[in-house]
Amino acid sequence: MRNLVQPVLTIAVKDIRDALKDRFIILMTAFLLLASLVALAVAAIALKVDVATYAEAKAGLIALGKDASTIPDPAFYPLKLLRGFVEHVEIIGAIIGILIGYRAAASERGRQTLALIVTRPISQWQFLAGKVLAGTAIISSGLILAFVIAGIAVIAISGIVLNPEDIGRLAIVMSAAGLYALAFFLLGFVTALWAKKLPNALLLAFTVWLSFVLIAPQIGDTLDPDNQVAGGVFKQLQIAKPQQVEILQSFSTYETIRNGIEVASPTKHFERLSFAVLGIKDTYAGQPLMPILAEKTSDMIWLLAIALALALLLFARRLDPNRLSKE
Amino acid sequence: MNTYVVETRQLTKRYGEHAAVKNLSLNVERGEVFGFLGHNGAGKTTTIHMLTTLLKPTSGTALVCGKSVTEQSLEARRHIGYVPENVRLYDTMTARANLLFFARLSGVEYPDRRIDETLDFLECRDLAPRLVGSFSKGLRQRIGLAQAILHRPDVLFLDEPTSGLDPMGIKTLRDLIVRLNREFGTTIFMNTHLISEISRTCTSIGVLNQGELVFRDTIEKVTERYGSESSLEELYLSVTPVQAKGAA
Amino acid sequence: MGNAAANAPIRLLVAQSLSTIARERTVALLALLFLVLVVVAAYLGWSATSTVNAIYLRSVDYMTAQGQTIPSNPVLDTSPLALLRNMATYVSLIGALAAIVVGHQLIASDRKAGTMPLLGTRPMRGIDLGTAKALALVIAIAALVAFAAFINTATFLVLPEFRLDGAGWTKLAAFYATSGLYLLVFGFLGMWFGAAAKSETVGLLIPVTVWLTLTFVLPQITSNINPVAALNPVSALADAPASAFFQVTGWALGPFSLAEAYRVISAQLLDFMPPTYVDRAAIPAAASLLIAAAGVGTIATRAVARMDMTKGDYDA
Repeated sequence: MRNLVQPVLTIAVKDIRDALKDRFIILMTAFLLLASLVALAVAAIALKVDVATYAEAKAGLIALGKDASTIPDPAFYPLKLLRGFVEHVEIIGAIIGILIGYRAAASERGRQTLALIVTRPISQWQFLAGKVLAGTAIISSGLILAFVIAGIAVIAISGIVLNPEDIGRLAIVMSAAGLYALAFFLLGFVTALWAKKLPNALLLAFTVWLSFVLIAPQIGDTLDPDNQVAGGVFKQLQIAKPQQVEILQSFSTYETIRNGIEVASPTKHFERLSFAVLGIKDTYAGQPLMPILAEKTSDMIWLLAIALALALLLFARRLDPNRLSKE
Repeated sequence: MNTYVVETRQLTKRYGEHAAVKNLSLNVERGEVFGFLGHNGAGKTTTIHMLTTLLKPTSGTALVCGKSVTEQSLEARRHIGYVPENVRLYDTMTARANLLFFARLSGVEYPDRRIDETLDFLECRDLAPRLVGSFSKGLRQRIGLAQAILHRPDVLFLDEPTSGLDPMGIKTLRDLIVRLNREFGTTIFMNTHLISEISRTCTSIGVLNQGELVFRDTIEKVTERYGSESSLEELYLSVTPVQAKGAA
Repeated sequence: MGNAAANAPIRLLVAQSLSTIARERTVALLALLFLVLVVVAAYLGWSATSTVNAIYLRSVDYMTAQGQTIPSNPVLDTSPLALLRNMATYVSLIGALAAIVVGHQLIASDRKAGTMPLLGTRPMRGIDLGTAKALALVIAIAALVAFAAFINTATFLVLPEFRLDGAGWTKLAAFYATSGLYLLVFGFLGMWFGAAAKSETVGLLIPVTVWLTLTFVLPQITSNINPVAALNPVSALADAPASAFFQVTGWALGPFSLAEAYRVISAQLLDFMPPTYVDRAAIPAAASLLIAAAGVGTIATRAVARMDMTKGDYDA
């Protein structure tokens, strides 16, 4: 057993050391943290604006001698502040995953050391497992750091201490983010390992990223009729929710296609799960966790399936000795 | 009339504290085949880079065909041809397309005719329609040489021209250099660390050690004084003591 | 005559650069993806508009049955140009990325070919090389935009329900000019770091990071606070919360928020500007784009002119 695991660990430890020396991975992680802090600060300011508007409207009504309870109280859920942060994880987290995966293969190919490793008495799977283990460790540490900072920022901004359930929700979203970033790690790793020319691998991975992280959700979002008219089509036509559902029933094929395009994207699964668990989406705000998780099981399964499929692809294919060199 | 094709005075290149080339004063006459000998890292390539206008000297002057490599770099470039170590060309283009591009950049008037003449001279016209990416190192070196002489330069700079070539490739290249010098009168300035190459190809020699010129003479006089190739090796080791000790 | 001779190397280098990048598969892949999305943008615009129209007609039935007053059809209130509103998003997403790759490859192809020392010893100035590469980029971007314009023009011609008048065609042309200018900023960024970076990966990743910042981070402060809103051309232009903070940051950072500047101009030209949007930037959006393209273009040209020609190729 030790003989099986030892080479994996040796490769993983070496790879983690290597990655930590890579300035660009450090820089991108710092960029994610900075973008997240900007998102949190902006969310906090926007929240203050909302609260001030509410207080002003309430005071106005009271001054006019009217009943202030007619305007809805802005329900405050501190985890809602994380919307921008989650969105940055969707975009930049995926890029960091690709970069770590790319680096894991490129570091060997660029230096032409892959040949030196695979001519040792270790199996191919041990080499790959070592790299995947290292990638998982690096991604996890980055995400733990990001989520801890985000959690602290939420407490500092809202002045509300997160309860154990909130922390549990954060941990669930963090795990989903890990799985999501791992899928992109595998994408970056597989393309960099197999591509004929290394920099092309990076561009190819970026193209996939662009298609699934940005374009597929964009098409889904754009096709949503409610997003076509500023403020929403039903709002403009002043049609109530039950009637909206009834009218939309005639457009079920259109909606199925639209939804199909959206679910092709791992980003959308991560977003749907996170927005529900953190209560960012209004319908889930303040709802208990377990029913939300039960409803979002399919999103979790999708994320897991995408990562697993890419891992299978990685381990199933033999390394091509002709691709071991730089060119 | 000044017969020097290459003239340097106190030429120096520093990288921070480290001086790659120190106060180099060197003349190479028209028609010479000059061999610039030195260990790896002695400063030979840095010198060629300064003489070919690729690198600005820290101090001192360098003239190529009477043109300053710093103040008259464009003029100087009209007189030089350069073949870097492990010369590389555009792999996705044919040899002819590569040569056509470089001939036009050098302002050659009838580039197609000149390319044919040059390829005939180098005995490799059959390479013209082939993609450079498919070439062996020897063939690539030959097209590399072709691009450097298309505009019939007065002086040809070669940086370790035989590096990585097989014995046949080395012999072919050596013969071409000698023919080029004889038939076109091209002055050759060649970097090398191979003593055998110097003794068979060059008419004069300079030895660079740790950035400083430590020896300069004609091959004729060197052979007169030291005799055989093995003696030339002894001479080389005696003027480059520090590296030799390190190597031992 | 002297001038023509002096320009000869530039013309030659432009032609050589363009023919080299035309052979680059990554450039072809991204350009193709961009053009596919141009078609998709037109289809999405048409499909979504038709669906909204159908929903309206259904709602009218419902509202008539309920005895409600019938509001006007929102589709009739929108300009036919708004059909192409998704173009603004695709230009700022895939178009910008394709521009970075084109700019990068214009330099990287020579560096990787190892021909820099051969170019550096020809009788031409460093600035000639920089100018040639900049011109090649302008031509490549213009070609990309021209293709997109051609596809969109064809779309308008085959969809009779979306008729454009003279002013509409002029606005469409102005939209492509703006898109070209915006893409040039990113092309020049790719060129700049393609020339200045020691490693090819870093040369690609720095412009991508700048693009991420401009597309997703800065607009958070200057307009819609949600980063992913950048994907939707309409919601990207939601007004920032009414706070002194956003007033100040919008004014100060607005000129640098190029993605937003581009969206603002696009929304004005393609008639999809949300009525609530307020542009707070200290200088007009068009000025931001012009200054950025000229500034980054100058820096990129100089970076190419000052490249180390002794080696050229990237480190591993």
